[in-house]
Amino acid sequence: MKHSIQVKVNGEVCEGEVEARTLLVHFLRDQLGLTGTHVGCVVGECGACSVLVDGALVKSCLMLAVQAHERDLVTIEGLARDGALQPIQEAFVSRFGLQCGFCTPGFVMASHALLLRNPNPTDEQIRQDLSSNLCMCTGYVQIVEAVKDAASRLRSRQGHEDGSATKGTKAAKQ
Amino acid sequence: MTQYIGRSVRSKEAPRFVTGRGRYVDDLSLPRMLHACILRSPYAHARITAVSGDRATQLRGVKAVLTPDDVKRLSRPFKPGRYAAGLRVPIPEYAGAIGKVRYVGEPVAIVAADSRAVAEDALELIDVEYDALPAVVTTADAAAPAAPVLYDELGTNVAWQGHVSYGDVEAAFARADRIVRENLKVHRYSSTPLEPFACLAEHTPERLTIWCNAQSPDVIYDAVSEALGIDSVRVIVPDIGGGFGQKIHLIRKYAVLAALMAVKTGRPVKWIEDRSEHMMAGGHSCEQEFDVEAAVRANGEVLGLKIRDTDDVGGSVSTLTIHFTNKLNNLFNTYKVQHLRLDGRSVLTNKCPVVPNRGIGKPGMCFVWERMMDRIAQELALDPIEVRRRNLVPADRFPYTTPNGNIHGSGDYQTLLDKVLVNVDYAGVRRRQAEEHARRAGSYIGIGVVIGIEPGGRNAARDMAIFPQSAQMPGAGGVEGATVKIEKNGSVLFTLGSPSCGQSHETTASQIIADVLGVAPERVSAVGAFDTALSPWGISSSNSGNNFHLYDVGAVHGAATRLRDKVLTLAAHVLKADKETLRIDDGVVGTITFAELGTIAYGNQAMLPPGFEPGLQATYYHSHPHADPLMLPDAQGRVRAQYTFSSAAHAAVVDVDPETGRVRVLRYVIVSDNGTLINPAVVDGQIYGSAAHGISVALGEGFVYGADGQLLTMTLLDYGKSTTLETPHIEIEHYPVPDPFTTLGQKAAGEGAAIPSPAAIASAVEDALAPLGVKVRHLPLSPERVWNLIREA
Repeated sequence: MKHSIQVKVNGEVCEGEVEARTLLVHFLRDQLGLTGTHVGCVVGECGACSVLVDGALVKSCLMLAVQAHERDLVTIEGLARDGALQPIQEAFVSRFGLQCGFCTPGFVMASHALLLRNPNPTDEQIRQDLSSNLCMCTGYVQIVEAVKDAASRLRSRQGHEDGSATKGTKAAKQ
Repeated sequence: MTQYIGRSVRSKEAPRFVTGRGRYVDDLSLPRMLHACILRSPYAHARITAVSGDRATQLRGVKAVLTPDDVKRLSRPFKPGRYAAGLRVPIPEYAGAIGKVRYVGEPVAIVAADSRAVAEDALELIDVEYDALPAVVTTADAAAPAAPVLYDELGTNVAWQGHVSYGDVEAAFARADRIVRENLKVHRYSSTPLEPFACLAEHTPERLTIWCNAQSPDVIYDAVSEALGIDSVRVIVPDIGGGFGQKIHLIRKYAVLAALMAVKTGRPVKWIEDRSEHMMAGGHSCEQEFDVEAAVRANGEVLGLKIRDTDDVGGSVSTLTIHFTNKLNNLFNTYKVQHLRLDGRSVLTNKCPVVPNRGIGKPGMCFVWERMMDRIAQELALDPIEVRRRNLVPADRFPYTTPNGNIHGSGDYQTLLDKVLVNVDYAGVRRRQAEEHARRAGSYIGIGVVIGIEPGGRNAARDMAIFPQSAQMPGAGGVEGATVKIEKNGSVLFTLGSPSCGQSHETTASQIIADVLGVAPERVSAVGAFDTALSPWGISSSNSGNNFHLYDVGAVHGAATRLRDKVLTLAAHVLKADKETLRIDDGVVGTITFAELGTIAYGNQAMLPPGFEPGLQATYYHSHPHADPLMLPDAQGRVRAQYTFSSAAHAAVVDVDPETGRVRVLRYVIVSDNGTLINPAVVDGQIYGSAAHGISVALGEGFVYGADGQLLTMTLLDYGKSTTLETPHIEIEHYPVPDPFTTLGQKAAGEGAAIPSPAAIASAVEDALAPLGVKVRHLPLSPERVWNLIREA
């Protein structure tokens, strides 16, 4: 028996017919073609399938597709806008925070979730948080550097936005 | 000239990976594609008495089942590969089990269906009757006279015995002041690439095409071609989610099974391994036991070494001696010792077959040397650093030829050691240790300092050193190609002869091309997936960082140099200039651009010089020009096992909790000589990653089997892979000594740090627990094992 689901993915409403047993990661990959979300273990240990569900970090191999009905998802494909890398993605590129790239979407999503909660994490907090994900290539050093770099990029962008907003207000007052 | 070589130029691959636009095999689909699943043995050792797919094929959506009888009827066995040197009796091995299973997880049948879910359902409907046999799990049990035998053809589980010997070992032992003895063990682990095996096969009237995440496409090419008897085979390798050697060998079984299914059904067939399948059957490193004797003088000089090595090769003869022969690559580590004998035994057990992975035998060889250096120091009451210094090959002896024929082109081992001691603040750690002991703080801090090499390049003829009677010579030396092309619009494209699985081949190759051609790396890009039909491939790189540096770098450099000459010839003719005085700057030759030259080269015969071959493209196949002497073994068994030798000193500082046995790595410091660095950040990444793996191995990652041959570590959690929490921050200093024999002075940069790191952790833990009298002989040093060591001391 199939179930109809409606899921908002990267801002777009998507509909699908799934079996009750279909995992969210398989729905994303096989039905929506969002192949940036990877399957490394399918039992919630590696984090390669990490996505955001209503803003929370979720391993999409541990969630059924039917459970995502009427929820709001962000996948790795939802971060870059108009061909420009999002700052976390840019930091992973410029800091060489990846090698084979298979775990990378999961690490970027996990870093995204961390930096939403904590814009200025310490090394220890980064390592604590990212212990949800496994990378077999990098030894994590350049990933931790990338997350710190991402945090500083996001803070300075936030600073610019706040700054220009303030200026704008002043200008309006004058 | 070198504007880009030597700089951490922005990664070419990373933008597609961070946006989720890498393209791996599982991301591909074809019209009418079926999904396959494999039925695997639940027994470690059993006869297969009957297999029936009748019930499975009746399930809606199932298209075909292949049983062992089908596999035997439809395919031919693999030829004994280049990893089975020493196999006395030819033993046919098919892609699936025939008649018998020899390890849990061995493939027995394959089913294809409309969806993966239906294929998984169908596995439960395949009927197999087994006649269970007693399993042998340890080498001691397997080698016992009355042990159940895995291969009747051999009549014993000791599938190979042999030795290599260099110098006059007995004379060295006769003049020793002391013989230091030790028993050492390295356990079973793997490199667990995050992307498991993946194959997509399609059989069309023209050919059999297989998309496969194989590190060595030549292995898949040969296997599929030979097993199916099809000449027209095409292997395409898109992005690979990590390899480390795991994806070189056993993956061929699955490529053949997927190909057979594609032929049988006439439809494309995709098979994706799952994690537990990979843990059971994707290949392990070899459990190795060493009985070692060192002949030493009272001042710590090692005169000779005798090693008896027992390798647990698991349930297949197809990789019989790889962990033994790979020890020829670093047989003398960094030491000037002249006399050594290594005896080997390969013992079959009912466990997963062994495969190459991150070091293959070399971490074991380094472990032997570095544990013995510490032991010698203890027995002679000398400083362990001083014992190493006394035995190192001095810097003025390079190029240095080891007694077994390897030529270390360049190196400065003393300086690596000096620098690592400074960087780790060796004296400071010793002071802190003494203070804490004085305070009886109950804190156990220890430091281990070791040294090791990373051999690079390949020479399969090495194996003839133990098997001179080999009927066919394995590929000697190495060959790899590359093509570089300037397009009509002036952009630059290149094709490599080997795929990448995370070593940044595209980035590194772009830098070399950019420098040789005189163009910005932004204008250089790789064509895309590796394709046997289109790539100028050899068999050398086997897609590892330690081979890429020699063969692909040489090939890319050669192709770009040829193309540069072509560009200059054409530009000189068009500009009526002297070719010798023309300069290329940012894609402009004198005053003419690459785009203008491209337009002429591909479309305007009137402007071409007489005799000029149109087009702007060059292909070059590289083999190491200094592969001789000793490309083939001489009568003494001396052979160039590999061609370049990077080296590094590692220092680990650990804190051991005596209550729990938990080891925390406080600092991990490396000083590394990888020759000329093409992209330092890329090389850093290779070092960080391989060090982290070796540290994780030492701290407990590994496979555990029950006495019945059942694998108890089927998930990454049970297997004990270190996360960000257990992995230390690793510190690197580069001390490059360029190689005089390679294209740019470069040396291996791939798996290197996985070789000395287990020894570094072992040394540090032993140092920490020295007040308790603990000796570290065996890996891993999981909390349970350390806790027991403390209790037993």
